[in-house]
Amino acid sequence: MEPLIKMVGITKVFPGVKALNNISLDIMPGEVHILLGENGAGKSTLMKILSGVYQPTLGKIIIGGKEYKSLTTKDSYDEGVAIIYQELSVINELSILENLFVGKLPTVKKCGISVVDYKTMEEKAAAMLQKVGVHRPLKTFVEDLTMPEKQQVEIAKALVSDAKIIIMDEPTTSLTTAETDNLFALIRKLKSENKGIVYISHKMDEIKKIGDRVTVLKDGTYVGTRRVDEVTVDELVTMMVGREIKGTYFGNPDVDLTKQPILFEAKNITRSDGRCRNISFQLHKGEILGFAGLVGAGRTETMEAIFGAHPKIKGQVFLNGRELHITSPYSAIKQGLGMVTENRRETGIIDNFNVKQNISMVPYLKQSSAGGIGGFLDGRQEVRWAEEQKANLHIKCTGINQMVVDLSGGNQQKVILGKWLAANTEVIIFDEPTKGIDIGSKSEIYQLMRKLANEGKGVLMISSELTELLSVCDRIAVFREGEIRMIFNSAEASEEKIVKTSTGEY
Amino acid sequence: MSETGIKKNSQNFGILWQRYGTFGILFLLLVVLAIAQPGAIFNSSAVPQMLKQSAVNILLACGEFFAILIAGIDLSVGAVCGLSGMVAAELMVSAHMPWVPACIIGVLCGTFFGFLNGLLVNRTGLHPFIITLGTQSIFFGVMLVVSHSANIYGFPASFSSMINASLFDFFPISAIIALLVAVVLWFFTTKTKAGRNTYALGGNKEAAWYSGINVPLHTLIVFIISGTCAGIAGIVLMGRLNCADPVAGTGYDTYAIAAAIIGGTSFMGGKGKIPGVVIGGFIIGIINYGMTALMIDSSYQKIMMGALIIISVAIDHFVSVSTNEK
Ligand SMILES: Nc1ncnc2c1ncn2[C@@H]1O[C@H](COP(=O)(O)OP(=O)(O)OP(=O)(O)O)[C@@H](O)[C@H]1O
Ligand SMILES: [Mg+2]
Repeated sequence: MEPLIKMVGITKVFPGVKALNNISLDIMPGEVHILLGENGAGKSTLMKILSGVYQPTLGKIIIGGKEYKSLTTKDSYDEGVAIIYQELSVINELSILENLFVGKLPTVKKCGISVVDYKTMEEKAAAMLQKVGVHRPLKTFVEDLTMPEKQQVEIAKALVSDAKIIIMDEPTTSLTTAETDNLFALIRKLKSENKGIVYISHKMDEIKKIGDRVTVLKDGTYVGTRRVDEVTVDELVTMMVGREIKGTYFGNPDVDLTKQPILFEAKNITRSDGRCRNISFQLHKGEILGFAGLVGAGRTETMEAIFGAHPKIKGQVFLNGRELHITSPYSAIKQGLGMVTENRRETGIIDNFNVKQNISMVPYLKQSSAGGIGGFLDGRQEVRWAEEQKANLHIKCTGINQMVVDLSGGNQQKVILGKWLAANTEVIIFDEPTKGIDIGSKSEIYQLMRKLANEGKGVLMISSELTELLSVCDRIAVFREGEIRMIFNSAEASEEKIVKTSTGEY
Repeated sequence: MSETGIKKNSQNFGILWQRYGTFGILFLLLVVLAIAQPGAIFNSSAVPQMLKQSAVNILLACGEFFAILIAGIDLSVGAVCGLSGMVAAELMVSAHMPWVPACIIGVLCGTFFGFLNGLLVNRTGLHPFIITLGTQSIFFGVMLVVSHSANIYGFPASFSSMINASLFDFFPISAIIALLVAVVLWFFTTKTKAGRNTYALGGNKEAAWYSGINVPLHTLIVFIISGTCAGIAGIVLMGRLNCADPVAGTGYDTYAIAAAIIGGTSFMGGKGKIPGVVIGGFIIGIINYGMTALMIDSSYQKIMMGALIIISVAIDHFVSVSTNEK
């Protein structure tokens, strides 16, 4: 069988980094080709070359018998390549319907004039949303969607154009098991239609579930390609990281931490928009409290309310027994609270800032006076904060003065973690903290969270990955429809129990 | 030449433009002027004249810079400039107030109008374009009421001689005021937390808010700065014309925006520097000066200015597209 796409000897040089060095890759019809590699290995760059966003420095791309030195986005679209970007490309100001067809509106001829064919559009869109599992009216504006829903719309957008090759760059970072299964069903259907799929993910269990072949990159170089059924996950990890990763439990089950004094407490948190009701929980010293639930169950909404980002709430919040009065993220920061938000591009990074400026933002604010406007910059201090976090989190960049948008997705995520760690925050709410982070760094971040907890800092963690919650948290609170339904101890918690509670079967 | 070769070249041009574009325009203008009318450049009063012509533009552009930096705009700087001058003039001429307090009150009026702009933007959540389009008309109308649509002149001699004086017979006081303001604002943008936060606002308001930046407060500060600069510009303009003319401020909005953009401020927000904006204001001043020296009608000045805005924004756009397409 002829491959749908052959990339041959692709090299890509950015100022200061060789992101790709002589990479070759082919994609067969009907296969799911997994692309694996650490943060900054060059996966997204390789795929952006295929979708025409970047032009390769060297190498060629053969699609459908035609040979290209480089592709434009139009070439790529015309050749039937669709891509789900790691950093979502959906536009907040447009409706779901409009987003699905941005730049490729279907037309019909009416009286000799091409007009937009809304009927076809709506039919196709409705069918596609059904398939990916978005239950919202087509006219809903994307800015009103939750992060996982946005990701689903991004998926739908790539699939609606009937492409031959579909690239999925970390499509499930915000999705929970149910939505992921939905996507996998879709992928199997695409396979049966002989389409080619490139799939990038740091969730190792997904490889075995959906992959046919897997290609591993390391620091921009090619390590190898294997058939998924002929290789173990451990072997793959060794290929990508160069060492073994101990995926173990990071908690300490022997100590009953609930006997420890209460560090942080939320009482009867209710949002005026009803997205969460009567949320109460206690965080003890040394403990990591996790939050599980389906998409839209209200975990992020609750935490944003506590953090003051949506200040219209009722309820009380206590730190070390003292009630906090939080009216904005600024006041939350001043009183020792922090929040790693889940949407990197929209609420995480400041894209006109470099790594250093992004990291120093929060510590600066924490030390500032007069509502955040008082005080002067301190160049040396700034460098210290940034260098510390760069070393602490192993942020891969050409230096702390590199623009944050030029980092790979996982490294941008590390920068966001860094800005809260640099501020020495008392209680940090981690909303999907390891989103887009590679397996090696993940366990380092879990250790870091455990270390924070042991040092007496508060750690709250929302995650869509149950395995992650189970291996990190001491207790797990399960949300359903805006309320906490159950809080499990790590000893009694299991995937099954959590899933059942979150779907309401329990 | 191969296609990638062309791409390389356009990328290199892009980097050069982003770094030295403003200087390039300045240099080009001076060369053109030197060839067309050598007498206008090689004479001892040329530089002081250019500086004088630039002072108001520099002041307005520095304020406008902040509004554009947060991905907004301030269309009311010309009206605020006129109104603040008019208030100070009325106080001096009709109320016989000494010039120092009168001018201070004039500037504070500008501050207050900026505050109003900021308050409206925050309270309504509308884009500053809409708000300042409205207040532009309101402020202008108020000025016509205050002045009864007539010129006001007959300022105290001490005021006129002060504002039109020159240091060492070379640096006009008006230009020194403008540069002092620019230095203060440069310090603000590069050395204070509030300045850094303002850049963050221009990059990503949502992320700025989630990182703890008080977005409404900074928006308010931005418009207060813009209004204050316009107020100072109003006093300087009135002093230079030696009368408060109700229509004196018209057209200056365009110049201020042009100066900020030519000076390297990005319309998308979050990018730009005060020194660039100062040079931008200087360029506008030189165009005015040059056109006058070449005895070109002021109507053509307007045409030229408009063309320059479009060209520099277009180049800017082209450059950012080509440098992004790596
Ligand atoms: N526009 C750019 N300018 C400069 N360097 C870049 C740019 N885009 C990517 N890089 C660099 O290229 C390298 C590869 O980045 P890439 O985004 O492809 O990594 P990745 O494998 O997708 O990682 P992740 O798993 O974190 O998403 C990184 O070192 C990154 O800093
Ligand atoms: Mg990536």
